[in-house]
Formats: sequence, C-alpha cells, structure tokens
Amino acid sequence: MPEPGRFRRALPSILSVALALLLCLVGLAIAKGSLPLALEAYGQLFIGGLGDIGGWLQGGRITLITRPLGETAIKASLLALVGLSVAVGFRVGLFNIGAQGQMMLGALAAAVVGAQLSLPAWLHVPVCLLVACVAGALWALPAGVLKLRRGVHEVISTIMLNWIAISLIDNWLAVGPLRAAATLGASRSGTDDVQVTAHLPRLFGALSRMNFGLVIALSALVLVWFWLFRSVHGFESRVAGLAPEAAQTAGIAGERRVLSGFLVSGALAGLAGAVWVLGTEFKYPGSLGAPYGFDGIGIALIGQNHPLGVGLSALFFGLMRAGGTRLQLFGVHKSFPELVQGLALLFVAANWAWGQLLARRVRPETGAPGANGDAMRPPLPPGENRVHGAEAGVGAPNASHDDDGATGTGDRTSSPLSKAEGGER
Amino acid sequence: MIAVFESLLSATLSAAPALVFATLGAVLSERSGVINIGVEGMMRLGAFCAAVSALWLPTPVALLVGMLAGALTAAMHALLCLKARADQVVAGMAINLVALAGVTFLLETWFQPYGTPSIAALTRHRFELLEGVPLLRALNGHTWLTPLALVLPFALHILLQRTPFGLRVRTVGERPTAAATLGIPVLRLRTLCVVAGGLFAGLGGAALSLSVLDRFEQHMPAGLGFMAVAAMVFGRWSALGAAGAALFFSAGSALRISLGSGVGGIVDAIPQGFLLALPYVLTLLVLSLQGRRTRPPAALGTPWSPETR
Repeated sequence: MPEPGRFRRALPSILSVALALLLCLVGLAIAKGSLPLALEAYGQLFIGGLGDIGGWLQGGRITLITRPLGETAIKASLLALVGLSVAVGFRVGLFNIGAQGQMMLGALAAAVVGAQLSLPAWLHVPVCLLVACVAGALWALPAGVLKLRRGVHEVISTIMLNWIAISLIDNWLAVGPLRAAATLGASRSGTDDVQVTAHLPRLFGALSRMNFGLVIALSALVLVWFWLFRSVHGFESRVAGLAPEAAQTAGIAGERRVLSGFLVSGALAGLAGAVWVLGTEFKYPGSLGAPYGFDGIGIALIGQNHPLGVGLSALFFGLMRAGGTRLQLFGVHKSFPELVQGLALLFVAANWAWGQLLARRVRPETGAPGANGDAMRPPLPPGENRVHGAEAGVGAPNASHDDDGATGTGDRTSSPLSKAEGGER
Repeated sequence: MIAVFESLLSATLSAAPALVFATLGAVLSERSGVINIGVEGMMRLGAFCAAVSALWLPTPVALLVGMLAGALTAAMHALLCLKARADQVVAGMAINLVALAGVTFLLETWFQPYGTPSIAALTRHRFELLEGVPLLRALNGHTWLTPLALVLPFALHILLQRTPFGLRVRTVGERPTAAATLGIPVLRLRTLCVVAGGLFAGLGGAALSLSVLDRFEQHMPAGLGFMAVAAMVFGRWSALGAAGAALFFSAGSALRISLGSGVGGIVDAIPQGFLLALPYVLTLLVLSLQGRRTRPPAALGTPWSPETR
C-alpha cells in the first residue's frame, strides 16, 4: 500500500471523533448551563485517564499517575482485543456482531478453568487463555459455517448466538450449575473465584492495577498486523474478504480463509473475555456488565479496521472510560464516553460522505468526479457490490454496481463492509 | 388447565404489541431495501421520549411523541444510509449505541439511573360481556394497542401486496434501477419507508413504557429490537409471517414467565435459560434449514444512486 494515503485514510476517523467530542461538549454545556463547567468536566475526564500530572509535579505521590494509567490500560486492552476481533471479521468480509457472545464464552471458560483446575502459575494462565480462545472460536464457528454452507447472513446468526449465550450463561449456568457455593451462610453471585495461580500478574505491583492483559493486547495487535499484512495466509484472507471471486480465480481457498479468519475473530473475543476475568474480575460475575461486543464494532470502525488504528482508538476510548468515573463528580453519568463513542461511530459510518467532502476540499478543480486521477487513495476494487449479487445466486442484474470504484472516493474500510451489507441472509 | 391457558394468552396479548409493531417497522424498512438493525435504538428512544413526555402530556399524546422520536431516529438512519451511503448495518449499530448511551445519559441527568417516575399508563379496557366466558376472558384487561397489533399486520400486508404503492415499495427493494426507469423516486420512497418503519419502532417502544409498564426502565427494550429483527427474518420479510413470528416469540416468553412463576412443574426439569434461548435457537435452525430459500429483498443493503446502472 502506498504510504502517503495513510494519514488521509485516518482523517475521517479523527474528524469524526473530534466532531463527537465537540457535540457532546455543547450538549454538556447546555445540560449544565455553563460552558466553563463543561470544559472543566472534560479536563477532569482526561486527568482521570492520564493521571494528575500537575499534582505529581507539585510533589504528589506517583500513584496520582500510575493508578489512572492502570485503569486506562485495563479498559484499553479489553477494547483493543474486542475491536481487533471485529476488525479481523471485517477484513475477511464478515460482520461479527457476535463478539459479545464469544467474549462471554471466553470469560466463562477462563473462569471455570481458572477456578477448577490446579496448575502451576506458569501453566495455569496460558491454559486459561487458550481455553478461552477455543471457546470464543467455537461460538463463532456456527455463524461461519452457516454463512458459507447455508448462506445465512452472519449479522443475523451472530445476533442469535449472542442471545443464546446470554440466555444459557447469564440465566442458567452462572445462576445454576456453575454458581459459587455460599460461604459462611452468605450467598455469592457469579461463579467460583479463580485461583491465584490463574490471575494475570500485575505489571507494577501495588502502584496500579495495570496487568499482563496490556501485554496480551499489544502482542495480539502486532501478531494480527503481521498475519494480515505480512503473511501469505493473511493476504489471501484479505483477498477472500474483499473479492471472493478474485480469490477463487487466483486459486485461493477463499471459503477456508474466510472461515479461519472468522474463527480468529471469535478467538480474539474469547481472549478479551479471559483477560477481563483473569485480570480484574477473578470470576464470572453473572453478566458481562457492558456491551463490549458493540464497543468492539465502534473501536474497529473508528480504527479503520487496521490493527494500528484499533490500538489507537482503543487507547483513546479506554482513556475516556477510565476518566469517565471522574465525571460523576460533576453529576455526569459515566456512560458519557460511550455516548461520545457512539456518535463518533455514527459519523464514521458516513465514510463515503467524508471521502466526498475531503476530496472536494483537497482538489477542487478536478472536474468530473469520475476522473481516475486520484492516486492518493487506493482505488476500491471494482465490482465490490457485484460480488454478493452473484453469490446469492439470484441473478440480480448488478443494480447496485455504482461507480465507486471509478471515483476512488470509497476507501479500504468501506469495501469489506459492503459485502457484509446484505445480499443474502 | 384452562386457567393456565387463559393466563398465558393474556400475558401474550399484553406483551406482544411492542414486538409486533417493531417487527412491522423492520419489515417495511427492509422491503424497501434498507437494512434496519437499529430497531433496538429506535425503540429505546421511543420508549424514553414517550415516558418523559407522559409526565406532562396526556398519555395518548405521549404515545405520539414516542412514535415521533422513533421516526426522527429513523430519519437519521435514512440520512446516513441513503444520503451519506453509509454501510447500513454499521449505521444501524451506531444508532443502537447512541440510543443506548444517550438515553442512559439523559436518564441520569434528569431522573434516577434506574428509570423515570411512574406515569399514567394507557387505560386497560374491560368488557363485562367477556368476563363470564372462558378463554375469551383473556381478551380483557388490555390497552387498545393489543387490537391494533392484531389488525396492523393485515393492513401492512394489504398495503405491501395489494396496492400500487406496495408494489412500488417492493420494486424499490428488489430492482431499484428498474423502478427508477419507470420514474419511481427510489430514494424518496426508501426514505419514506425507513421513517415510517421508525414510526412503528417508536410505537413499539412507547408500548413498552406506556402499556406494558407505566414508566421507562433503564434496560428497555432489553433486546426486543433484535428479537424483532429475528422475527422479521423468521417470517421471511412478509408482514403477516413476521407478525406471526413476533406473536410466537411473545408467547414463548409469556410461557417462560408463567412457568417461572410456578404454574407448571416443568420449570425444574427445563432450566429457564433454555426457554429463553428457544426463540433464537429456533430462528437459527429455521434459517439453516431453509438455507438459500430464505430470500431477502434482492437490493437489501446496497446503496443506490440515480447514476447507478
């Protein structure tokens, strides 16, 4: 890929996040009736995530910085793993809405293995992580198989699998067979406590809660980047996601690449569950507590489905999440960062419009938009929409084949999506 | 036994409208070719706005406010999908996320985190005549939304299958370019269907907070919007089929609740989780059995512009 386009490709995301922040600032100022107050709240939000650097410089304790940074790292590693899961799905052309369910499976598996098995610490954590990955991948498998064999749209099947997971785990396993036995007469919620050998080690001891999950998330980002962009298998997977017909023509076992990619996606979500349980919760507490799977969609798309982008957006929103608790001092609910994230996703969704807008601003005099002169951006693979019409086997006369490819205004993010957009269900 | 059946029927009839309306909204939107996965968010905003406005306004007017909120949310969806040509699934999910976080934020700012204060719910009608008749007794004690939910599917079916307007909507969802060649305003029609779908979804949400309960609760609609999408697919995108599926799903959850409250002795044998999972498992099973025969509208999810060929 040509280097110069990288910043340009990130621009819609950056602008979207900025716009969402601005909009929420205005909303907050109106809700609280004072702009300075809203600005101060924003300041506290970032202090809550980055640490009170000013206070530390004036001789405060180091924990003023390490504690908030630890919280940021915890939130960011979870978001990065779920975001990466969704992003990998997009890269192989599947929209994984099921990260939530896969994460639940991973979390439960890690909690059970962590509590029930007795192993030395060096073995216990890896075994838990591995089992969680397998559990997550297994929960993604039905959706992948149904998509490839029976043409069931993965958006529908993964939503169903999410609710099946919620019903079976939160309403049966976690409150029934796997529920922790009451101790000292007091009943406890969730599963049995994970043994100490399975806890993810803290990186800075008592200074912060930052744990090994950060290392796991970072290595996952690097490994996925290497797989997708530096290995033949990853390249073939991306081709299979972008243009199944081209993959077939090139002799790539497209369906197998797509399926394995989707399993990786599930495994990453499962891994997120394990990091959550082994790093902070130390048991499966009865429910996931937050729509992490949906957050993953936001993180993946704001990060333009690139591991680097996913890492950066996870860091940013993890920071906001960590600082969000500080907002409660101002009487603002800690869901405020989620609102910002949702709005940012809403704006990022208008990717095509951003492309139009930016193209117009940068090159006002190119004449017809159909001119193929824009070498700055990688052109969309032509016939992106033709793909699923043919796949569905209904002989739709390519009604949808618009001239995106010629204008080159779409960017890479939009292409794997458009296959997920519909066609067959 | 009859008493059990009556209570089951009654519970189904009072819970079903919300799901039926939302499902019909999804059907209308998707038949015009726009994926509507944001039903959940539209319902949430509809339920919230209806409950909030019911604090000041008479309840029937609040119902309209809820519908309007759903329609406005849907208008945003239409703007994103049709004007900005966003990926329709992404746009829908974005709407869900904004509704989830935004309503939580507003709820916390204006009321308590767990819900709004109680409001005057819609009146439940009782008919002396039915009181003595077995089974028909179950028809008593519902709001007027229940009969509406039983009639509306037929109305939408006739609209879609038997009128020129419906034919145009379906054409736009199947072959937009062919429709455009005939002079049908594709984008305007799609916008109309999406917004009307949002009207239905908002009505479904308002039914939750004004009829099923008498306030807005933090977790509303708790996945009902996704269940509506499932019902739509289960019913193969037809108004009657989807509404039937919605009724079936409602009956399933009514069964679970009445079993949970100890009406049968089965609850010990079958864990609640299984019953909860049943509609979703069934949908998956049916989809995998039908396979490629379950055919959504051909142009579903594909952006279209007048320059499309």
